[in-house]
Amino acid sequence: MKERNLFAIIVLSLVLIAVGYLVATSVDLSWLMPAQASERAVLVDRLFRFMMGIATVVFLIVEGALIYAVLRFRQKPGDESDARPVHGNNTLEIVWTLIPAVIVAVIGVYSYRVLTEVERVPDDPLVVRVISQQFSWRFEYPESGVSANVLHLPVDRPVQFQIESRDVIHSFWVPEFRVKRDATPGQIDELVLTPSQIGRYPIRCAELCGPGHAAMVSEVIVESEEDFQAWIEAGGVEVLDAGKGVPAGDKLPDDPLAAGRVVFTKYGCGACHTLDEAKTGGIVGPSLSDIGRVAAERLQGVNAVDYVRSSIVETDAFVVDGYPSGVMPNDFGERMTPEELDVLVEYLLSQ
Amino acid sequence: MSVNTAAMTEKVDWRKYFTWNTDHKVIGIQYLVTTFFFFIVGGALAMLVRTELGQPGTDLLDGVEYNRFLTNHGSVMIFLWIIPVLAGFGNYLIPLMIGARDMAFPNLNALSFWLIPPAGVLMIASFFVGSAESGWTAYVPLSVTAPLGQTLWAVSVIILGVSSLLGAINFVTTTLTMRAEGMGFWDLPLFVWGMLATALMILVATPMLTAGLILIALDRVAGTLFFDVAAGGDPVFWQNIFWFYSHPAVYIMILPGMGIISEIFPVFSRKPIFGYKAIAISSMAISVLGLTVWAHHMFTSGMNPALRIPYMITSMIIAVPTGIKIFSWLGTIWDGKLRFTTPMLFALGFISMFLIGGITGIFLASIPVDLHVHDTYFVVAHLHFVLFGGSVSAVYAGLYYWFPKITGRKYDERLGKVHFWMNFIGTNLSYLPMFLAGLLGMPRRVVDYAPEFTGVNQLATVGAYLLGLSTLPFLYNAIVSWARGPRAESNPWRALTLEWTTSSPPPEHNFDERPVMKIWPYSYGEVEVESEATGPVASAGD
Ligand code: HEC
Ligand SMILES: [Cu+2]
Ligand SMILES: [Cu+2]
Repeated sequence: MKERNLFAIIVLSLVLIAVGYLVATSVDLSWLMPAQASERAVLVDRLFRFMMGIATVVFLIVEGALIYAVLRFRQKPGDESDARPVHGNNTLEIVWTLIPAVIVAVIGVYSYRVLTEVERVPDDPLVVRVISQQFSWRFEYPESGVSANVLHLPVDRPVQFQIESRDVIHSFWVPEFRVKRDATPGQIDELVLTPSQIGRYPIRCAELCGPGHAAMVSEVIVESEEDFQAWIEAGGVEVLDAGKGVPAGDKLPDDPLAAGRVVFTKYGCGACHTLDEAKTGGIVGPSLSDIGRVAAERLQGVNAVDYVRSSIVETDAFVVDGYPSGVMPNDFGERMTPEELDVLVEYLLSQ
Repeated sequence: MSVNTAAMTEKVDWRKYFTWNTDHKVIGIQYLVTTFFFFIVGGALAMLVRTELGQPGTDLLDGVEYNRFLTNHGSVMIFLWIIPVLAGFGNYLIPLMIGARDMAFPNLNALSFWLIPPAGVLMIASFFVGSAESGWTAYVPLSVTAPLGQTLWAVSVIILGVSSLLGAINFVTTTLTMRAEGMGFWDLPLFVWGMLATALMILVATPMLTAGLILIALDRVAGTLFFDVAAGGDPVFWQNIFWFYSHPAVYIMILPGMGIISEIFPVFSRKPIFGYKAIAISSMAISVLGLTVWAHHMFTSGMNPALRIPYMITSMIIAVPTGIKIFSWLGTIWDGKLRFTTPMLFALGFISMFLIGGITGIFLASIPVDLHVHDTYFVVAHLHFVLFGGSVSAVYAGLYYWFPKITGRKYDERLGKVHFWMNFIGTNLSYLPMFLAGLLGMPRRVVDYAPEFTGVNQLATVGAYLLGLSTLPFLYNAIVSWARGPRAESNPWRALTLEWTTSSPPPEHNFDERPVMKIWPYSYGEVEVESEATGPVASAGD
């Protein structure tokens, strides 16, 4: 290879990398991404911007050459002759083979470094078990025994998630943390990150997991260490509706209505069912807002209590017209305590 | 002019298209027409999906229906449209381009076509027995417990895999053994190189998917426990099997398209292809490398984290041969005398849109970025830029380019251009906003989304409708021109590959005399290419 070519390759690669660096450090691309709520997000975004810088230049070069050629080299009217035959150009071909090679090598090394940085397991992280199930999330804090369906995290403290699934594959994703991890049945998938920004962010399931996939959402609340400790000490009290605290943990409130709502929420019924009282809007199954009346009329000779109870524990014994069978999970009977089941049935019948 | 007049007066017997026919040209047309029908089916499903997503909330489809529609949209588009339509081009063109009389195994060839209609019927029939609803990826365990239609789906994809394998065997054998006298490997048209690279990938990768699907089908109907977690089955195992085929499938869907546009650029630039060997070798390089990248679809899964690194590296390296192709095409049109016919427009559109698909592929290969954008609308946008902006553009380019050869008629350029612009604007309008949706946090395959994604989704839906409408000028043009368009000469584009040396449409035996390769297929500017009216090329049969 001629020295001149080598020179061209080095210069062009350096220019591309310099643009990438410039964009990474100084161009505001924050409108392309949600808020940065973890330390990881900062590093990932820098890498992303670096790649955007290079990508933009490559994009402009290629589309620019294309548009230039289209405008400049059109056939002249009446000119039926062929163009000057050129079969190739070794220099050019070497240049456009090596520059992309250099660029992807740089991107590859940079990606690798970011990866090792964000995946380093910290000492003494806060451990949170993430238990996913069609179509709900549950979060358990083994150190304190608290369990809730909204994720609370103290700011600036490293967390290690241990992600599990009870049925099919789900994927735990917090866009503001810039990371997701699949929940694979039969194994525990780990994920580490450090939340860095107080606020509330959505948790979304990213892996198709059935009819309620889009509704498989929850929320992460990143709060100060004190708020977090207070929440843990209160046993994971969840603020579900205006000012009325109801625990989502194992202790049920005394008020039967509140207790029923807790159970209803805890088992993710709202992902599939609309229930005005619990402010849920699921559409996979029939609305339960009027179930107290409907239940009494569904099956002849079956009273409302038995009907609702069997709808929950033997879901497929009777399938409501127009709704699919086999969709509503059929293991609630095993998962709920008898007390929870009673509370839930009473709650539904009061609707 | 005996050949041409014969072809003109001969009454085309359309009934032969509905029979077991071993003529590769009949089979090619059977492929093209049948698969276009499935394209429309897949497109109609996409319209429903986009309509549902036109606003937040679930109005048109519920969660179950939505999953069924998206599963069938993806499966129909991939397994019943893009992969087989490209095989259709291979069928029609390979023997003509290498100067052969037919395929190496004509009966096998007919069989590979006739497997497609029953497979298509099975897939569509699955709608009526509780359709497949776990995505075209059919991840276990979701797909093991899905309703009966999932079994029909699996059988359908198995059949289509066999069809694809039979086709590949034919392509490879035909190319290796039946080339015209004097045609060496470095004389092969680049479309044939592309099909060769594709066929080799099919031969290596497809049996894996077929085997995996048989395991799923057995789990479902025979009570085996290959994927049962409780019995020690591993869901990640299926992902390995699936992507071992389905990543190469991306190249199976793009390499022939790259071949098509490599034919079109030289003809309409009146220049030799730039870097012939580099393009041919890069196709082979992609086909080999493409077999080693599959786990980049699994960076978020439960796979061994250390193993992600090699897959990131191989995935990024693929950018190099892909870049070589793009730059070589630019080199071809550079300093040419460009004619903006409809196929040329689609080929130029291919470069400009495939580029976006290619660049965003590097983002997805970078593990830290992928952990954010994987399984989001970013991926949906990326794959549609590759498969719609890329493959489908190439298919349209090829349909227009070879339309005169296949039908013996000319299509209407004006309608062709209307079609191109609707398609080009529709593609960008539909898929560009999806990148933003994904980056900002919208997962893929959702029937409903948070209100902040309304704007981008509405743009995408408008773009999708435009794409849907864009098929109308094409269909009208194709049908009317085929029936009573002006007669096409044998070589209307003054091209140099061998298929243009015989009449349009070619006689049943392809060539009156066994062709001898005399002119290298891209010698524009070096030899005189005459059109039929005056020249020696088309009157070869006299
Ligand atoms: C995955 C979605 C899903 C989840 C989660 C779910 N259900 Fe259902 N449910 C359905 C579907 C679908 C039906 C209708 C088909 C049937 O009757 O089995 C249904 C039916 C019912 C019915 C009968 C309604 C009627 O009108 O007759 C009741 C009661 C019910 N569910 C209660 C619950 C409760 C309580 C929970 C939470 C413990 C729950 N469901 C969780 C999907 C779900
Ligand atoms: Cu899920
Ligand atoms: Cu999901």
